[in-house]
Amino acid sequence: MNNRGGADMPVDTTQIIKRTLARRYRREARFRRMGLFAVVLGLAFLSLLLFSIVSKGYTAFWQTFVLMDVHLDAGVIDPEGTLDQEVMFAADYGGMIKASLRDTFPEVTQRREKRDLYRLVSSGAGFYLREEVLQNPDAIGKTIQIWVPADDDVDMLMKGHFDRDKPEEDRRIKDQQIAWVDRLVDQNRIELRFNTTFFTAGDSREPELAGIWAAVCGSFFTLVITLLLAFTMGVATAVYLEEFTPKNRWTDLIEVNINNLAAVPSIVYGLLGLAVFINFFGLPRSVPLVGGLVLALMTLPTIIIASRAALKSVPPSIRDAALGVGASKTEMVFHHVLPQAMPGMLTGTIIGMAQALGESAPLLMIGMVAFIADAPGGFTDPSTVLPVQIYLWADSPERAFVERTSAAIMILLAFLFSMNGLAVLLRKRFERRW
Amino acid sequence: MNQGSADKTRVDRTARKTVGDFTHPDPRITCRNVSVHYGDKCAVRNVDLDIGRNEVIALIGPSGCGKSSFLRCLNRMNDTIEGCRVSGEFRMDGNDLYDPDMDVVLLRAQVGIVFQKPNPFPKSIFDNVAYGPRIHGLAQTRAGVEEIVETSLKRAGLWEEVKDYLNDPGTSLSGGQQQRLCVARAIAVNPEVVLMDEPCSALDPIATARIEELIDELSELYSIVIVTHSMQQAARVSERTAYFHLGDLIEVGATDEVFTKPQHKLTEDYITGRFG
Ligand SMILES: Nc1ncnc2c1ncn2[C@@H]1O[C@H](COP(=O)(O)OP(=O)(O)OP(=O)(O)O)[C@@H](O)[C@H]1O
Ligand SMILES: [Mg+2]
Repeated sequence: MNNRGGADMPVDTTQIIKRTLARRYRREARFRRMGLFAVVLGLAFLSLLLFSIVSKGYTAFWQTFVLMDVHLDAGVIDPEGTLDQEVMFAADYGGMIKASLRDTFPEVTQRREKRDLYRLVSSGAGFYLREEVLQNPDAIGKTIQIWVPADDDVDMLMKGHFDRDKPEEDRRIKDQQIAWVDRLVDQNRIELRFNTTFFTAGDSREPELAGIWAAVCGSFFTLVITLLLAFTMGVATAVYLEEFTPKNRWTDLIEVNINNLAAVPSIVYGLLGLAVFINFFGLPRSVPLVGGLVLALMTLPTIIIASRAALKSVPPSIRDAALGVGASKTEMVFHHVLPQAMPGMLTGTIIGMAQALGESAPLLMIGMVAFIADAPGGFTDPSTVLPVQIYLWADSPERAFVERTSAAIMILLAFLFSMNGLAVLLRKRFERRW
Repeated sequence: MNQGSADKTRVDRTARKTVGDFTHPDPRITCRNVSVHYGDKCAVRNVDLDIGRNEVIALIGPSGCGKSSFLRCLNRMNDTIEGCRVSGEFRMDGNDLYDPDMDVVLLRAQVGIVFQKPNPFPKSIFDNVAYGPRIHGLAQTRAGVEEIVETSLKRAGLWEEVKDYLNDPGTSLSGGQQQRLCVARAIAVNPEVVLMDEPCSALDPIATARIEELIDELSELYSIVIVTHSMQQAARVSERTAYFHLGDLIEVGATDEVFTKPQHKLTEDYITGRFG
């Protein structure tokens, strides 16, 4: 009855398995190699990207400053001696800087030459001087030493981005100017210092005065609106669709449409925002409020889909358990299902927010691309956002904006990485409980 | 019933009409003409059965015969299953259980259930048991909740093992411990009818004895429906036994009679171990 043990047919299962094993292990090894290859390739591209951005951008965190001896002429700054802030504010500080430059290079007399000389320091140097004077008015009448930012072309020269061997007409800086800079170097009057302006200022036509603070603020206000709207509405929609509606043709239709919305190009949301929020509801242009609304619309489908997937993955036995002890449906959802689904929902939300943070196309449509120098103070102040700022700088001809573009990208990436880190952290926190 | 047969005590193997008296003189729940369908598949077919006040009734039968499906009808847990249709009439104390006006939350608080697969909440052991009393407001103070938790765990025979680990997750317990935790959770809300779906399937004889003791205690006040694969257990704890086969209720009767003098051929085969 049992031919397995028959003498003429020694069926040895172990032998059969052993024969197949070699092949199965080979397949596994192949798969592992492929996986490893994919990971290495991915990492390689990522490091290439990071390397190219960092190597281009890190110099933007330093800025060339020139040490100037400025005579604070009381007759110019505060002619009446009243120390009136308004009078002091309106004084011609640029003129004092120019005078100081002329004193440093007394041989320069011709108008053209003078113009070139003045171009060594930033046109915003006067603001630095004003700041200094307003902070300690005691110095009026004396001669002070002050570090002011150099012009972006000098900055580029100092950082070695200009080729001195090129013919003069092919560079933005003249031979004469190079000679002056070299003299300043010899006198230790020029050096690279940490570029705080980059982190505290808004946009500017002058690269040495431009910073990302206004864009960071704009992004912050925009994302606050986006987060509030998209998270609450997304989670509420997902919970309602997943837990409370019966499965029928209508809910299928809604599901299909939400999935379609997730695939709509983001610029379309910009057009929608322009048509609905600005033209129909008459909200102002270029403000974080509208930007946030548009980005909320854009991220909503992502969050809904991720949240529904998270809800679906909660085991039904937990629901049974809750209902079995007499919990109502709402109690079941809020006490048991939602806490279980939270990590997944948060991950989805943060991915959506990261998407929104990096999004520029729809914001261009609602006018957040305007030149805005001042940091917004609220949700209805005109502002720009980080990716749009990057776009604007990448579009600028000055060589100094190239490194600032890369530096701004670094800041944006830093935000993205920390947001993703936060997602992981939140996940851990919620999961660690059980 | 095949009355024409020469052997009056034996019933034809193919007859699917219930043998024995499915009624109870003092019924708590009456079920008439109950059918359960999953999609097109029929899991329970035209079952009539009464569940008496203060009685323990055992549901036995081969795997897949519809015991769990029938049990879940009694507190409308089948409502949550997609594609599950329940028909027939259920009355508890005269009220229609499937009346649209029926308060399901109240019903499930009154008719507690211990599921076949242990399903503790992914929360602490304490919270697992305290959840029901908390949402129903059975205890006003923390101390009150603690007392309910302690007595429930003691009655389920789990207290000694977990009393120092009440804050550990319920899901970290062993299978048998989880089963008892689920029993404790169910009885913590003082249900008047307790549905138990194989509550001892993963338990050792001592823990089983504890649960059977609990069933005895509970039956003084409440009704208990227990699904079990252990004939001995059915014989030990129940007053009546119902034998299911492929969705049909084949035989109902006093437990000792069903086990000693089964009338239906299928019942006899099952009990004597020739089937199932
Ligand atoms: N959720 C479900 N969806 C579809 N069919 C189901 C579902 N639950 C049970 N069934 C079917 O209903 C029939 C009865 O199942 P039920 O769980 O009631 O059996 P049971 O008697 O409890 O078996 P066991 O002793 O193995 O627990 C089975 O054929 C099963 O395939
Ligand atoms: Mg079952």
